Amino acid sequence: MIVLECLFLTIAPCDAAEPWQLGSQDAATPMMQGIIDLHHDIFFFLILIFVFVSWILVRALWHFHYKKNPIPQRIVHGTTIEILWTIFPSIILMFIAIPSFALLYSMDEVVVDPAITIKAIGHQWYWTYEYSDYNSGDEQSLTFDSYTIPEDDPELGQSRLLEVDNRVVVPEKTHLRIIVTPADVPHSWAVPSLGVKCDAVPGRLNQTSISVQREGVYYGQCSEICGTNHAFMRAPGNIGRLLSPLWLSRTNQGASHPRSKLLQRAAGAVWSRGARQ
Amino acid sequence: MSKVSVKQYLLEEKEKKSDVAVKSVEESEVKPSVDAPTEEIVQKTEETPTVVDSEVAPGATGGDSEVSDVAAGDSKETSPADANPAPSEESSDTAESENTNNQEAEETPEIKLETAPADFRFPTTNQTRHCFTRYIEYHRCIAAKGEGAPECDKFAKYYRSLCPGEWVDRWNEQRENGTFPGPL
Repeated sequence: MIVLECLFLTIAPCDAAEPWQLGSQDAATPMMQGIIDLHHDIFFFLILIFVFVSWILVRALWHFHYKKNPIPQRIVHGTTIEILWTIFPSIILMFIAIPSFALLYSMDEVVVDPAITIKAIGHQWYWTYEYSDYNSGDEQSLTFDSYTIPEDDPELGQSRLLEVDNRVVVPEKTHLRIIVTPADVPHSWAVPSLGVKCDAVPGRLNQTSISVQREGVYYGQCSEICGTNHAFMRAPGNIGRLLSPLWLSRTNQGASHPRSKLLQRAAGAVWSRGARQ
Repeated sequence: MSKVSVKQYLLEEKEKKSDVAVKSVEESEVKPSVDAPTEEIVQKTEETPTVVDSEVAPGATGGDSEVSDVAAGDSKETSPADANPAPSEESSDTAESENTNNQEAEETPEIKLETAPADFRFPTTNQTRHCFTRYIEYHRCIAAKGEGAPECDKFAKYYRSLCPGEWVDRWNEQRENGTFPGPL
């Protein structure tokens, strides 16, 4: 019973993984919604096929048991059945492939008119974020590091090894362009709730577009083995609290001061870990 | 104009007020021009020869149709701000970036959600050359138009939006040392 409860009866906190979780985290972007829907679509066919194949297997085992049927029939050819079992699987594959490709290519689509560009730069083992849409010089970008809160000092209510000290704050319902690149070894910036996983390859800028549909705190992790502390690079840093575009008006004014108080407060970054910089 | 409409869509929820405010400002701008159109036009041509230049510039720097589109879009955007009387003049003197200037000039909390637009030359996930190209475009523009030319500002904005700060620093250093690998 306890196992069953663990498996099925837990209450899912929205955007963080939970023990024994089976499904995906709740979607916060159309892309993630698409991924979940595709998963369900495919599962329809999967269960259909599973039931059908099991039925054939069990039936064959039952009816052709050696005690019931000591002399096996030798059938080497059956044109009709061969045509059938070739055509039907291909039709099923087509039904799976069409939505799958549609989703794949829509994820690849570059948004024509992104509103904000955020640069996520992977380091061993933390992420640095740059907001520089409003820079007027090369040295002024709003840049901050985002470290995982170590296992021994999260505050009450924080998720263990999920929280970071400086969250990324982005507006909701806005097209965001995330540019991902590392400064040392390959990393990968992934946030399950947003349906984003973007490899960070040295010397290359990868772009991914997201549009977050609701406010929340989203957690992610590095998804490319990047060294000793890879597991603690909890950082694709959680996308922080997603506020309305009004938020920008504040950040923009604060943008001239790197590590602006406002941004930190908005991000709930009360720890003075930034001193490490 | 599509840019503007998208922006309005994005900000619809929270910023209806400021939109109304902007509209009223625009109306107030339009009215005097109806009253005394000739004066306005004369003022414009006197004040802002740079805007005219900016339309010409990309073609001169060997840009393609897209760039000129962007330039046209920009000039549309800037024109109402330039039509503003005093404050925009002052700010265009100090000219750092168009965006902040516009904000200062309007003195409203409205923010232009704006970043480097998608470029059809770089339609893929890999944006490395996008960043590099914008950096080069900026420096070629500066080389052609002179240091601090306002029509180059948008390229600066683009490459700052796209390139990691570290890369820009390194390239700046290389340019100083004369070892920059790109065609400047």
